[in-house]
Amino acid sequence: MLMPRKPPKGFRKPHSPKRRGQAKGGVRVTFGEYGIQALEHSYVTNRQIEAARIAMTRHIKRGGKVWITIFPDQALTKKPAETRMGSGKGTPEWWVANVKPGRVMFELSYPSETTAREALTRAIHKLPMKCRIVKREVGEA
Amino acid sequence: MSEVLIKAESRTDFGKGGARRTRRAGKIPAVLYGHGEKPKHVALPALEFAAALRHGGLNQLFRIEIADDGSKALALPKALQRDPLKDTIDHVDLLLVRRGEKVTVEVPVVLSGEPAKGGLLVHDLNTLSISADATKLPDRIELSIEGMEVGSHIPAGQVTLPQGSELLTDPETVVVSLTVAPSVEQLEAELAEAEAEAGIEREVPAPAEDAASAGEAAAAPAES
Repeated sequence: MLMPRKPPKGFRKPHSPKRRGQAKGGVRVTFGEYGIQALEHSYVTNRQIEAARIAMTRHIKRGGKVWITIFPDQALTKKPAETRMGSGKGTPEWWVANVKPGRVMFELSYPSETTAREALTRAIHKLPMKCRIVKREVGEA
Repeated sequence: MSEVLIKAESRTDFGKGGARRTRRAGKIPAVLYGHGEKPKHVALPALEFAAALRHGGLNQLFRIEIADDGSKALALPKALQRDPLKDTIDHVDLLLVRRGEKVTVEVPVVLSGEPAKGGLLVHDLNTLSISADATKLPDRIELSIEGMEVGSHIPAGQVTLPQGSELLTDPETVVVSLTVAPSVEQLEAELAEAEAEAGIEREVPAPAEDAASAGEAAAAPAES
């Protein structure tokens, strides 16, 4: 599954990433023909990214190509169950991507639009926020 | 490509608040510059401008008439800022051009035809950078991939450009390639491995006979 290859340069247990504002970059479909765009803030874990990719790839089988344009590089921590408060921050539990509204997370290239939209819909069902399918306009790089 | 006439107004209201007031009035804040002239801040009619871009593409040539001072200019959109969620245009940079002047633009490459079966078509380069007369810019470049064989590719140098255009992209850059698609077994093995790593369990549908016998076996104790 996707996760940083090396330990993070900063702190091992960082503060949770901010969930405000809109995506500044990665808001257009760049590589493929269709994409999944986030409409809400959310943390997307590496398991969710992998589940969405598998759902999409299983549907399109071998005629298309999938791009993942987010990376889970933020660690989220959790304290064990039935633990009293204090005694320091919990241990890193998940690797997540901090996704903001407008961000294109997955891209797909496939000859048939109907099949591509169906595959992307299956992937959206694996994601934790409201999303929509976007299509690349002619002339967008 | 034909020119589109846009009647603009001079803009005196600047900054975040001024730009928002302009947008609320159904206009797009824009700036007009080029040829060493002083930049002019204008407001464009939002619906007309968006419709022109939708029909003519991102390299649509505009004839801008500024109502306040009566000046006219030819301009090309250089940079567009869009709202990612509403998909409206927030701001436009317009570059002044002259008739007969050569300009550098990115022109979309549109594929046509059916390649050979069994391959995976990868469109690596969606736009080509060309230099052409500002009044004769193509809105797209058609590239035929009819009968393209698996394992082959088309570099930028082999794309037929409209007359009077000069290619600026590296001619060796691959525009489109037809690679070998993974086999069903390879794809299935890769997905099974990924599912095992992620801990995803799939429901495998049982054969009809097994399901029927299992149903009988389950029903038998209840009858007795």
